[in-house]
Amino acid sequence: MKRLAIIWVLFTVFETSGFAQLTSPPLDKSPLDISYFPVNYPSLKTRDKISENPIARVIYSRPFKNDRVIFGNLIEYGKVWRMGANECTEIEFFQDVKINNSKIPKGRYSLYAIPDTANWTIILNQDTDLWGAFKYDQKKDVIRVTVPVEKADSPTENLAIFFQKSDQGCALNILWDNVSVSLPISL
Amino acid sequence: MNRTVKFIFYIIAVTGVWGCKQPKPQPEMRIPPTAAKDGINPYVAPDKSPMDMSYFPKDYPILRMNGTDEKSLVARVIYSRPQKKGRQIFGTSEKNLVQFGKEWRIGANEATEIEFFKNVKINGQPLPKGRYVMYGIPSPQNWMIAFNNNLFTWGLHMDSTQDVLRISEPVIEQKPPVEELTIFFEPSEIGADLFVIWDNVKVKIPISIEQ
Repeated sequence: MKRLAIIWVLFTVFETSGFAQLTSPPLDKSPLDISYFPVNYPSLKTRDKISENPIARVIYSRPFKNDRVIFGNLIEYGKVWRMGANECTEIEFFQDVKINNSKIPKGRYSLYAIPDTANWTIILNQDTDLWGAFKYDQKKDVIRVTVPVEKADSPTENLAIFFQKSDQGCALNILWDNVSVSLPISL
Repeated sequence: MNRTVKFIFYIIAVTGVWGCKQPKPQPEMRIPPTAAKDGINPYVAPDKSPMDMSYFPKDYPILRMNGTDEKSLVARVIYSRPQKKGRQIFGTSEKNLVQFGKEWRIGANEATEIEFFKNVKINGQPLPKGRYVMYGIPSPQNWMIAFNNNLFTWGLHMDSTQDVLRISEPVIEQKPPVEELTIFFEPSEIGADLFVIWDNVKVKIPISIEQ
């Protein structure tokens, strides 16, 4: 017993002195991520596999499902959602594109969604660098598009937003929990 | 008694060796255990060096949310945050993650990106507003830091012919070491300081802002 006590003391000393380290501002629990179109553009460019400019990119934070029901619960139906966590999600087009037959000039936009059971409204807005959707201003909307909800076969743990090549250009896919939506973009 | 003393030495030896060879695992960004039954994200798995973003004015999006943004947006850095995980990061050996004298992306994955929304002076030298790749060449006393036009690249093989500005900054010792690469702005008398901190190294880049 005495021996065990000594071992315990030694371990405690090692734990608190030898290994102790300052922790800097911690990693975000909903880490930021970036998706390009063409897919994996920076890697392609660095390997000289692509010479033209990128077309689009999305910057977003990736919350976890963490066993919660996301849509209709954590994310309320019918309300504007930042489509991420922390800062509102940002989409940038490096050339003019078309969404729902409307011209979207190249530039940086915030990206929001109003989720619902059967459809989502996807919103591009001119006001960027905002936290959440708390200061979302509908007057600065560039476009609103309604897209259908598809149910995913298996739930996605982290919010995932990524581009996929399509006949017209690309699709912006948004997946989280058991929901999948896709925004068509023409070039 | 003799046996107890021996046993204590044995424990010291074992924990000592264990401490050197197998550093205590640091928490890392990973799918939590609860994910097992949901399955790993089949589309885009979260990165083990997660991306992060720093603004100047500091926490600009939050200031805007609170309506306390008195100044307009000046700068934003987007970078990925590798972790020390018991390694000595900077050094001369090939075993060091970042070798002295060699280009480093100051991050992980994609090249670190800095955007200035106003014309600035970096360490006294003018840099027009715009978006740049920021990379460095660390050495024990000084870091060379470059602002480069080769955007949207993976952070290997920097094209130095596209450097717009190169500056040199002294290395400040960081005590105690910092686990995750950390890049952030702090206000200063002339504008802002951009800090790059990792392991036992701190570099401060002074920035003045054209109004």
